[in-house]
Amino acid sequence: MSYGFGTLTVPRLPPRADQAAATTAKTRATRRFALNARTACFGSVLLALLGLFAGGGCHVPRPANNHEHEQILYSATTSDPKTFNPVLVTDSASGDAIGNLFEGLVKLNPLTTLPEPDLAKSWEISDGGRVVIFHLRRHVRWFDGKPLTARDVIFTMRVIYDPRVPNSMRPILTIDGKPIAVSAPDDYTVRMTMPRTFAPLLYSVGFEILPEHLLAADYEAGRFNRVWGINTPPAKIVGMGPYRMTRYVPSQLVAFRRNGGYWMRGPKGEKLPRLRGQRLLIVQDQNADYLRFLSGQTDVYSPRPEEVLDLSERAAKLHITVRKIGIDTGSLFFAFNRNPRHYVHHGVTDPKLHWFTDLNFLRALAHLVDKRAIANLCFHGLAVPAVSDVSPANKVFHNPNLKDYDYDPALAAKILDAAGYRLVRPGVRVDPHGNRLEFNLTTNTGVKTRDEMCAIFQQDLANVGIKVNYRPLEFTTLVEKLDSTFDWDCVLIGFTGTVEPNNAANFLRSSGNLHIWDPDQPKPATPWEAEIDRLLDEGTAEMDPAKRAPYYWRIQQILHDQLPIIETVRQQEFQAWKDSLEDFRPTVWGLYRPEWIEFRPD
Amino acid sequence: MGRFIVHRLVNMVPLIIGITFLSFLVISMVPGDFLSSLRLNPSISPEVIRQIEAEFGLNQPLLVRYVKWLWAVLHLDLGVSLTYRVAVTSLIASRALNTVILAASSMLFSWALAIPIGIIVAVRQNSIWDRVLSFAAFFGMSVPNFFLAFLLMFVALKTGWFPLGGTYSVYYPSLDLWGKIADRFDHLVLPAIVLGTAGMASLMRLMRSQILEIKNSDFVRTARAKGLAERTVLYKHVLRNALNPFVTLAGYSLADLLGGAALVEAVMNLQGLGLLLLDAVRSLDIYLVMGSVLMGTVLLLLGNLLADLALVAVDPRVDFSALASQ
Repeated sequence: MSYGFGTLTVPRLPPRADQAAATTAKTRATRRFALNARTACFGSVLLALLGLFAGGGCHVPRPANNHEHEQILYSATTSDPKTFNPVLVTDSASGDAIGNLFEGLVKLNPLTTLPEPDLAKSWEISDGGRVVIFHLRRHVRWFDGKPLTARDVIFTMRVIYDPRVPNSMRPILTIDGKPIAVSAPDDYTVRMTMPRTFAPLLYSVGFEILPEHLLAADYEAGRFNRVWGINTPPAKIVGMGPYRMTRYVPSQLVAFRRNGGYWMRGPKGEKLPRLRGQRLLIVQDQNADYLRFLSGQTDVYSPRPEEVLDLSERAAKLHITVRKIGIDTGSLFFAFNRNPRHYVHHGVTDPKLHWFTDLNFLRALAHLVDKRAIANLCFHGLAVPAVSDVSPANKVFHNPNLKDYDYDPALAAKILDAAGYRLVRPGVRVDPHGNRLEFNLTTNTGVKTRDEMCAIFQQDLANVGIKVNYRPLEFTTLVEKLDSTFDWDCVLIGFTGTVEPNNAANFLRSSGNLHIWDPDQPKPATPWEAEIDRLLDEGTAEMDPAKRAPYYWRIQQILHDQLPIIETVRQQEFQAWKDSLEDFRPTVWGLYRPEWIEFRPD
Repeated sequence: MGRFIVHRLVNMVPLIIGITFLSFLVISMVPGDFLSSLRLNPSISPEVIRQIEAEFGLNQPLLVRYVKWLWAVLHLDLGVSLTYRVAVTSLIASRALNTVILAASSMLFSWALAIPIGIIVAVRQNSIWDRVLSFAAFFGMSVPNFFLAFLLMFVALKTGWFPLGGTYSVYYPSLDLWGKIADRFDHLVLPAIVLGTAGMASLMRLMRSQILEIKNSDFVRTARAKGLAERTVLYKHVLRNALNPFVTLAGYSLADLLGGAALVEAVMNLQGLGLLLLDAVRSLDIYLVMGSVLMGTVLLLLGNLLADLALVAVDPRVDFSALASQ
């Protein structure tokens, strides 16, 4: 091939051989190519635009799914289940997915917060509370038709106590390091013998019962930890609860169908549950979740404080009910590190240890937590000051007699002055040895309200001359500091709450690993920590809830007086649901009688 | 060519080992570990934590764990996810198809629009079209994906033209084949637009600058001087030379196919690998993270190889000896 115009300048880059091959004879062909190229070019724009509008233009038919007519309840959860094996569950999403499939001997009545019969129709307490005999309901059948018997209960407890099976039930069912002895006098009686009287038992036997006839072989073969993972076909997850799982699509939905053989009956003897099925949509983003509820794709929604007003105003138009259901069951507090392992190095003690164990200093700080500002600025006014570490939602065990530390910067300054923490110049306060009052504050990243709360606390402390360096940390990093390196001064952290106060023993007991201000103590470091340890022992030895309560009230009083933690606020919980739902009774402890829920027929 | 391919494939082995080892090292050096969230759970005792540690071998030294992992990978076993206690391969496989469909359609959208628009604005440089489309491009580049996703979701809510997120409808299994395809497509439109816009903007700018640069080169002047029509010059000479970087880019984007887009997946509730892997990184689910790193690395290297082969095929100026000496 030759260049047609050899005399012209040679191009810098050698052009492609065919570029110069254009001769007059070929011009027409080239033009056609050019035209084609242009057509193709605009054609593809058109095609892409067509594609863009095809969805809207052609309008794919979308069958209106009428939840009322179908009697199927649609709700949403934030993440994928991690396992379908009830014993291995450690997260709430997995609990949401299989909670409807399994039941325990006893369940919690969310209105009274007392235990009530579930698979056990009754129980007797004897030998001063050391022995509890459960009488199982007859005619309870697994999804495959086999009857549920005491053998299943014994098998489940054997699995829970097996050291090879990591599960969160074992510590709760272990008393002073010893397991509960369990036996079955007959197929429908379970006898539990405890090493000593142990009141929390009735709150602890809500664990899901497993089918022995299906899982025993895998368990004996040492494969229990891999059984019923999320890739198990849903039909193979065999429980006895009100619903069966029919479908699981990762990051999309979990579908349930009514269990026709469910044992529970309604007031007129009719079969329960009343709903034909449920769909649990997995919607990771809460804003997207909100949009779904607004569009009617989900029937129930737990609004965030900033959404409550908006929803309430539109309730009539959207045909929904928005209601306050109570106060957060958990606790959100500032904790102060008083662990000597963090402060004493080479015989030198960091002055912070003295501040954080000085009651005057802590009391001044307690008067500097502006709970009203926190409720208004961070929770849109939908929060109440928290006084005790046990939520008022816990009707029996919450101590209502504590007097809150009022927000009072002047009083705080006075307490600090009196205790020798002097203001040397505006904005700078020093301790009696002349060390500047300054410490680090942290919390986990990504929670807006916590950021704002820390900023408010930081500002209030700055006003009296205490410098706070605020730095939020990624959750895993924060946990490592709290749990193993103990390298922190002050943290804003929240714990979820349970009805049974002994479930917080890991946090309250001086030897507990979550005794956050000074964990794993070989011996109680202070007299009041020793008293809490003793109260915990005594509180579990008393069977009557009314007589138990004073022990836990006293623990709340001690924490309130000694201030290893300073409580902040508790959010008010709201729930929104479609007006067409009947018998929908949400509480902060869960739904009351969920089997009764149904859609009003059109 | 055969020798070239074999040579490149052999070179990939140390690269893959190096990349995976570095990733393994970095994720192991992050403070905290997978069990961190369990440690702060009052109902889980330290003894349970130690058991899980032992079960997954997390208490062994780093090097031992890496070698064990590598050895298993050679047997096509990517290990077990700590979070789900399920094989990593099955977790990735369960979401791979939807991820590929989404990525491919958004790429198709952006390429099919970006290249022609790039040509138009380059040809009419400094015209009103150029300004308007360039502005739109910069706008598309600067609006965060997740925000655009929200805007479109809001439009969908108000108009009802599109479904509110999701990979397909809840009644998908009951549809016939065409219904399924239509349903999928219906759900794909908005995410493809969101994911396509950002890529489109940069591709369009690249196309524009490529054409402008080549338009002024000597061989184009030659072509014009010999009397070719402007159209011919543009489409036959300029365009073909301008497309070279796009061949390379197409190769690289092979890795994007399985990369996923976590934020958009979260907002639009799509089934994809992005969120799975983001969660894995955040919870330090090391074997799941390593599985995705390995997959991404292999795809990137393969894409690179394919791009080079394609370049040789379309551009006679490039040959294997030049590529091999790189």
